[in-house]
Amino acid sequence: MPERPLNRICYVEDDEDIQRIVRMSLERVGKMTVEVVGDPTLAIEAMTTFKPDLVMLDWMMPKMDGPAVFRQMKLRPETSQLPVVFITAKAAQRDLDELSKMGAAGTISKPFSPKDLPDQLREIWKKLP
Amino acid sequence: MNHTSTAEGAAVAASVAASPPGTAAGIRERADPRAVLADRVDQLYGQMWLSILTTFAIGAIATFEFWELRLRELVLFWWGLVLVITAASATLLYAYRRSADKAQDPGQWLRWLGIAALASGANWGFAGAVFFPSHTDEQQVFLAFLLAGMMSGGIPVYAASWPIFALYAAGIVVPFTYVLATFGNRLFTEIALLVPMFYAINVAIAYRLTQVFHSGYRLRHAYGRLTEDYSVLNQRLERQLVELEDARRQVEASGRKLELFAERAPIAVLEMDGQGAITEVNNAAELLFGYTAAELIGRDIRFLVRPEFHADFDKRWKRMIDTHTPEAGLIRNPRRDGIDVICDWTFTPLVAPEGTVIAVLAQGRDVTAQREAERVKKEFTSTLSHELRTPLTSIIGSLQLINSGVVGQVEKDIAEMTVVAERNGQRLLDLINDLLDIEKIESGKLTLSPEQIAIDDVVREAMVLNKAFGERFRVRFELVSSLPGRSVLGDRKRLLQVMTNLLSNAAKFSPENGAVEIRMEDHGPLVRVEVQDRGPGIPEAFRGRIFSRFAQADSTASRQKGGTGLGLAICKRIIEMMHGRIGFEDRPGGGTTFWFELPRT
Repeated sequence: MPERPLNRICYVEDDEDIQRIVRMSLERVGKMTVEVVGDPTLAIEAMTTFKPDLVMLDWMMPKMDGPAVFRQMKLRPETSQLPVVFITAKAAQRDLDELSKMGAAGTISKPFSPKDLPDQLREIWKKLP
Repeated sequence: MNHTSTAEGAAVAASVAASPPGTAAGIRERADPRAVLADRVDQLYGQMWLSILTTFAIGAIATFEFWELRLRELVLFWWGLVLVITAASATLLYAYRRSADKAQDPGQWLRWLGIAALASGANWGFAGAVFFPSHTDEQQVFLAFLLAGMMSGGIPVYAASWPIFALYAAGIVVPFTYVLATFGNRLFTEIALLVPMFYAINVAIAYRLTQVFHSGYRLRHAYGRLTEDYSVLNQRLERQLVELEDARRQVEASGRKLELFAERAPIAVLEMDGQGAITEVNNAAELLFGYTAAELIGRDIRFLVRPEFHADFDKRWKRMIDTHTPEAGLIRNPRRDGIDVICDWTFTPLVAPEGTVIAVLAQGRDVTAQREAERVKKEFTSTLSHELRTPLTSIIGSLQLINSGVVGQVEKDIAEMTVVAERNGQRLLDLINDLLDIEKIESGKLTLSPEQIAIDDVVREAMVLNKAFGERFRVRFELVSSLPGRSVLGDRKRLLQVMTNLLSNAAKFSPENGAVEIRMEDHGPLVRVEVQDRGPGIPEAFRGRIFSRFAQADSTASRQKGGTGLGLAICKRIIEMMHGRIGFEDRPGGGTTFWFELPRT
């Protein structure tokens, strides 16, 4: 379990409504600092400047999906060590297994409860080495 | 063919065609001795009227010839004897003719005839003995002539049975010879010596004749029986021929039916030899592949299989030929126009009794369109899953944020409405999730990730997760008995889903302020989990389909209580996939117990 508490979250999501809900959930309920990225192609750049504790990736996005962003992160030293949580509405068990093998910290399925989301993330954070 | 009399027929019919026909002697052996005797007796009685008439007529002439006043009583007595014997003989003949079962006991009739013959013969012998000494020379010549005639006349009459002739002739000869021998005249003594010799010769002739008759009758019967055998065999052969013809017609008819069936069938039917060379194709096969029958016949079946699947095809073909069991599966087949069709094939080997594969029948159904439809359906489901859930995430999420007060206090009336909106958003989501689960189950795509689970943990977790739901109905969950440390093999998430279903059902149907009792217990090699409510129970009419899709006892219930009617159908499938059982029973004292059992690990 990391020493410091979970505070800075970077969220890559194309749907603006969900962006708003997550931001409100994490900021108001979870008292965290949130950076939302709407265009996944700009995600890596945003992470490099924002320096989050944890990254949340939406699975299905136009242009570039979550797993693709994840693979790119693995190629960059600045982002390769960041814990990643996937938010997904549909994913076969096989894909999820694949992602945990690649080092994903966890998955949260859609629809999630904004009330519980900060706690869910903290649970995952606690289990990190 | 001559048919013998019915009496003989009856005797012959008893054993037919048992022994094979052999030599002439063998044939004669096949005659029934009783039937032969009956024939001989019949012949004897058939000539009896002749002897009766002759005896009467000659007796009358003799009486007239011997008539002398001094011998009046004796002659009259003799004439009386003649009358008695002819009358008795006539009665016997009459009785014989009237007898219905004379063939049954020919020996008895023969004995009666013997007695009659002996009496008749003895009567003549009596005449010879009594009248010979007392009459003139001329009359003696008459008498000797008469007796000799009577004796020799007996030969044809009694030829069918020499002992009867012997008795008859002895009756004539013995007294007469005695009288001749004791007459004291040298000539007569010499005649007395000759008479027994004539007698012996006559009996010998009769004996010989009897044998001839006997042999004749035996042959007649034997051939009669052969004829009978032959006609029975003939009848049997005819019957078998008719049966064969019927069978042939039936085979032909079913063959034609089969041909028609294959010809008109909407599925492609191909016949091949054991090596895979096509020998026959139906109309549907021609249409499916775009080749005519003439183009296909003689070609190898692999011609209709994509080359990259040949190795697999050969393997399965060999297995079918080796094991003589049908093979079935999907094969990608190239059509004449180059487009592939996917067909569901069944290959069935036709095996001869000696174990060789005579032919292979293949039936193929084009499932290309069906598979495309399945793919579209899957895509639709996937779209439904994503596109519906994403907006719902926003709807439920924002309402939850409002209702939890995170975004600040709202007016009471507004809060009431947003609670309604959130609850129904959740209901819509549940419905979508259930529909997706059912779809997965029905298409066989529901997969479980089995792991060792502590049943106690899962049940307690489910109770915690559903506590709030229970509170909405003012129902509390009580754990009555538990099995700490007991584990089962199952999918944790799916097991939670089952428990959630059972707990929320129980909560929905419990009276307010009631308790739902949860029990865990060992049940043989299974672990049993029970969820008991104090609800109204399951209506009788609903029991049979409670685990079916969209099953709800009362359609208004879904509006009052929420729920899709899919929950229990999903639970049943999930539990069965974990090799368990699910069911329900009435709870004593009212209410229902839902239970499931899973194998212990």
